[in-house]
Amino acid sequence: MKYVYWRRARQIVQILSLLAFFALVVYTFRDVQRPVNAQGLMRLDPLAALVTSLSTRRWIAAFIPALLLTMATLILGRFWCGWLCPLGTILDVVPAPSEGAGDARSGWRGVKYGLLFLILFAAFWRNTTLLILDPLAIFVRSVTALVIPGLNWLIVQLEGTLYKAGILRGVVDAVDAALQGTIISYRQPYYQGVLPLSLLLGGILALNLFKKRAWCRYLCPLGGLLSLLSRASWLKRRAAPSCVECSACEKVCPMGTIDGDEMYASDSGECILCMDCAADCPQGAIRFEGDVSIAWDKGYEPTRRQLLTALGASVGGLALLRVTPSTHHPDPRRLRPPGVKEEELLATCIRCGACMRACPSHGLQPSWTESGIEGLWTPILVPRLGHCDYSCTACGDTCPTGAIPSLSLEEKRETPIGKAYIDPELCIAWSGRSPCIVCEEMCPLPGKAIILEEKEVQDDRGGTRTLQVPVVQHERCIGCGTCENKCPVNGEAAIRVIVDPL
Amino acid sequence: MEKITRRALLQWSVTMGLATMAASCVPTTSPVSDMDAEQPTSTKTMGSSAPVDKDRPTATPAATQPKPGVEEATATKLAQSSATREPSPTPPEAAYLAAVHGSDPEAITQRAVAAIGGMERFVQPGDDVIVKPNICNANHSFEYASTTNPQVVATLVTLALEAGAKRVHVMDNPFSGTAQRAYERSGIAEAVKAAGGTMELMSQHKYVETDIPEGKDLESWLFYQPILEADVVIDVPIAKHHNLAHLTLAGKNLMGTIENRPAMHRNLGQRIADITSRVRPQLTVMDAVRMLMDHGPTGGDLDDVKRADTVIASHDLVAVDAYTTPLFEMEPEDIGYITASTEMDLGEMDLGHLDIQEIEI
Repeated sequence: MKYVYWRRARQIVQILSLLAFFALVVYTFRDVQRPVNAQGLMRLDPLAALVTSLSTRRWIAAFIPALLLTMATLILGRFWCGWLCPLGTILDVVPAPSEGAGDARSGWRGVKYGLLFLILFAAFWRNTTLLILDPLAIFVRSVTALVIPGLNWLIVQLEGTLYKAGILRGVVDAVDAALQGTIISYRQPYYQGVLPLSLLLGGILALNLFKKRAWCRYLCPLGGLLSLLSRASWLKRRAAPSCVECSACEKVCPMGTIDGDEMYASDSGECILCMDCAADCPQGAIRFEGDVSIAWDKGYEPTRRQLLTALGASVGGLALLRVTPSTHHPDPRRLRPPGVKEEELLATCIRCGACMRACPSHGLQPSWTESGIEGLWTPILVPRLGHCDYSCTACGDTCPTGAIPSLSLEEKRETPIGKAYIDPELCIAWSGRSPCIVCEEMCPLPGKAIILEEKEVQDDRGGTRTLQVPVVQHERCIGCGTCENKCPVNGEAAIRVIVDPL
Repeated sequence: MEKITRRALLQWSVTMGLATMAASCVPTTSPVSDMDAEQPTSTKTMGSSAPVDKDRPTATPAATQPKPGVEEATATKLAQSSATREPSPTPPEAAYLAAVHGSDPEAITQRAVAAIGGMERFVQPGDDVIVKPNICNANHSFEYASTTNPQVVATLVTLALEAGAKRVHVMDNPFSGTAQRAYERSGIAEAVKAAGGTMELMSQHKYVETDIPEGKDLESWLFYQPILEADVVIDVPIAKHHNLAHLTLAGKNLMGTIENRPAMHRNLGQRIADITSRVRPQLTVMDAVRMLMDHGPTGGDLDDVKRADTVIASHDLVAVDAYTTPLFEMEPEDIGYITASTEMDLGEMDLGHLDIQEIEI
């Protein structure tokens, strides 16, 4: 068997799957309804499947692909990490030291198991916060909130430059038409918390400066899960007696799991089947062969102490999360997508951000402080950035776990996510500065939830004038935030949606 | 693989960096405007309502004035500020404004355009034509009368193509929902496609800060350039209620040609007139097949819809709006942008002395 061909095949598969997963995220945007979206990617995730099953105490049928991946891992090992994982592929191309990266017996490798146990114990306590570290969630979230908005901005700048200069208009039009509704949105998307989102992604990439695929070796909790399964996998790497101990394989292994002190053996829980070692072996001494056995002698296996520490940390961490003020008193700006039950969301949301990509107004945002640390990067509506479209159910339709319920359009239109309140000192009409009715005009409800009343108001020169002023009819308002989004005052809107105070 | 990839990464970063630098260096002025490059969207009198200066010499005489000398001066003036052709005067045999009543939207649209001189009066062979209906949101189908009737729009597309138009693009910039969805929901996408026209998504990069030489309140605004550059612009509003402007008619419909719309709402009447002075549609066709009588411009309740089975056409946008206003039991004097547009000589709101044809079919 020519392993160089296997390596080439692996590289092609990696690039194709990265492109496919990127396209899945791009096409999640609900301009028009599309048959596939990022749901398809998240459903492959065994960690998300396991965590949500534990936290909701029920099997979510959407996760059948994850079950298939689990079974495939029992046969093939961590092929997911080496061949398919989009984050892994990115880490393969990010600069990394190429020499002396082997650390086959490093105790750091056990950290990912500890993290995995912590996540699983927390899930049992109905907490899913640490899924922010799930590699697929990181990928979908980063593409949604960082990559696509950045590309959108850059492309529009470039198009605008060429358009104003009057050159290549045909090409620009063709490119623009091809990208509209995908990479280019009808409005530039903005996401809050770009800095922390970038820091997590950037930190993972920067770890590569120390060791190639350091994230995959030491930290990735999905990698940890797949690693435990792979210890019993059927397909295993073998170094044959013809080995001349040249250590070429040890140097090339991206996971650094080939152990020069142990006759160049490796851990099937760490091997990602990349075939680099076999392709580069001058003796052709490395083979991948079937073998029924369990590898459990590497020195960084999960220990009982690790389990107990994770259990303790999960309990302690949970207590800390639950004594933050946000659990006692909801932040008024914690505006959840329609139909969301807070408890249910915190137990089910896998932080993938697919809903935020689907939201056609880009108003659905990763929560930063609004839902406490426990709700980090769960979806909230930020009306100033985008309203909840009256004719849209995209977030619920896209959510892979049902954390956001899939509502019919009729249900959604009757499900309040908050209520709008007017700040009369900021309001252009109430403060007597000028006539303004934009909030009433934009209110999408048939019959309007904002009415106008003739009122004698004080103007800023101390006189009075009669103006039409907006008044919210709270029993009708569904808190979609269109009014807040369109309010023409600078900075904070003069009409704001808050969590229903009653 | 690793070395190649590093080089690719480096190239990518450099390319993107250069692109960003290039983008930030290019002035924001439009190719057809001679305004100061760095000027932001600006107003002449911020905030409070600007007094209309009656003594200010008007740049554009009303299209009805049949004085050849003035016509010529006007044409020169507009050629400097816009690529769009001047709205044409009324030929002797045609009506100044036609209002056609009947149950078939296609037939009454055809008849209304025919009565004011036919599409050939506006569209010449090879023209680039833009049709601007009102497709303000993706919430309701056209029966709810918040978006223009698809048959009216499609009929105009057909007429323009028959008159020899090189291409007919139809577009609007909805304030809620994406354009793609609004185009589909309104039924306009399907009808226009069948008629041989093209739905255009209004791309972000084509909004360019453009001066408004005749503006009284606005000095410049972000305009969608293809609309300013088209040979012919056909304004196809639907007659709707609106609480601040009172009514959403042809003038208000031109809000779809600009960006940063919420900021328009201070001194809305004058600002719409200023926008109108820059866009100057050659032909205005009012869809009053269904009228939205309350809770506009969004609608959503069939009880607010009144079936009027009427289409009104003229080269004079102000006259069309002035004609439509009484259908809502209001007076043209009540509508800020009608009076402001009249002050700027963009058209006639006093219909008494005009040749108006009422046709029943």
